[in-house]
Amino acid sequence: MKQPIETFVFALVAILFTTAAGAQWAVYEQPTAADWAALAELPDFSGVWERGGGGGGGGRGGGSALSPTPEYASLREQLRAIPGEGQATNCLPPGMPGIMTQPYPIEFLMTPGKVTMVIEAYTQVRHIFTDGRALPADPDPLFFGTSVGRWDGDTLVIESAGFSDLVQIAADLPHSDQMRITETIRLIDENRMEIETTITDPAALTEPYTTTATLARHRDWTIAEYICQENNRNFVDAAGQSGIILDNPGGLPPLPN
Amino acid sequence: MKKYFAVLASVLCLAGGSAAAHHSFSVFNMQTEINVTGTVKEVQWTNPHIWVWVDVSDAEGNVVTWGLEGMSPNYLARRGWERTTLKAGDEITVSLRPLNSGEPGGMFVQTTTPDGTVLGMGGAQRNSAD
Repeated sequence: MKQPIETFVFALVAILFTTAAGAQWAVYEQPTAADWAALAELPDFSGVWERGGGGGGGGRGGGSALSPTPEYASLREQLRAIPGEGQATNCLPPGMPGIMTQPYPIEFLMTPGKVTMVIEAYTQVRHIFTDGRALPADPDPLFFGTSVGRWDGDTLVIESAGFSDLVQIAADLPHSDQMRITETIRLIDENRMEIETTITDPAALTEPYTTTATLARHRDWTIAEYICQENNRNFVDAAGQSGIILDNPGGLPPLPN
Repeated sequence: MKKYFAVLASVLCLAGGSAAAHHSFSVFNMQTEINVTGTVKEVQWTNPHIWVWVDVSDAEGNVVTWGLEGMSPNYLARRGWERTTLKAGDEITVSLRPLNSGEPGGMFVQTTTPDGTVLGMGGAQRNSAD
């Protein structure tokens, strides 16, 4: 008598777990031939792109002023007063939005239901889900947040939410858990792309902060490896003092203990 | 006049640009540019930045190894440099922004190869500074 009941309970629990999992995570469906064909109707973002026309870090177009609230302006002043150069010196990637402004190229990959950014700086990847899923109601805090995208004509609109406390809106300006980032991406012409980035954060900013970048497609480039820890001789110590390791000039620096 | 160790201070005229992604330049004296002449000991063609080690001798024959930090190999490889563009044994004069600490090192600015190619952090260019 007990066994059928236990089996029933087990099955019920299994169904509940499956339902819960289905609600939380979208399931990857195998693309059909029609899904692949539909990609050809979208603007072609594929390939390797770099901000600006030549040197890295350029291509900053217009943008609105950064308008921190009094509370966050004060936080920024406090952070500015701390010596040292920040987390990047110790090879921690900047996350969003900073990862999109590095002087290194980004490759866009387009597959059914997803746009993937392969970012050379720090060997990073952003996953933009375009399969219609919604942003989670309470996303975990991540360096890149969680991102979903939709096509508005020829423009890809990306919404991202849920960011780690280790990322900043701009240098020394932290964000609150209300930060949202909207990116609109479109082709200006065959080999130029424009990315408009708007950051809203009611606790940290009095106005949305918008920047525009232009990227150029380099069809003869490939994304290279970038392991920041390979030979990083720059450091910031616990006291916030920065320095350079000049030991072992015949080889790589010793591993930190 | 020291034949093998010429240090020339000059006011920096050209901005370095956003050469490095992963740190700022507070360890370097960005207001000063000096030259060192010596023999390349080793080139570390590594991320996040290349390092060029140069053995510099003084008139008495004492050798000091200078460590010079450059841009990333990825960045330079797209702009005319190769892993073997500079190599051990090359005799070079390099302009650099020295470390504030006074240690023998700095930020690699540029050198000119015997064929007249200027190797800078903006790339390898013939007959013009970067």
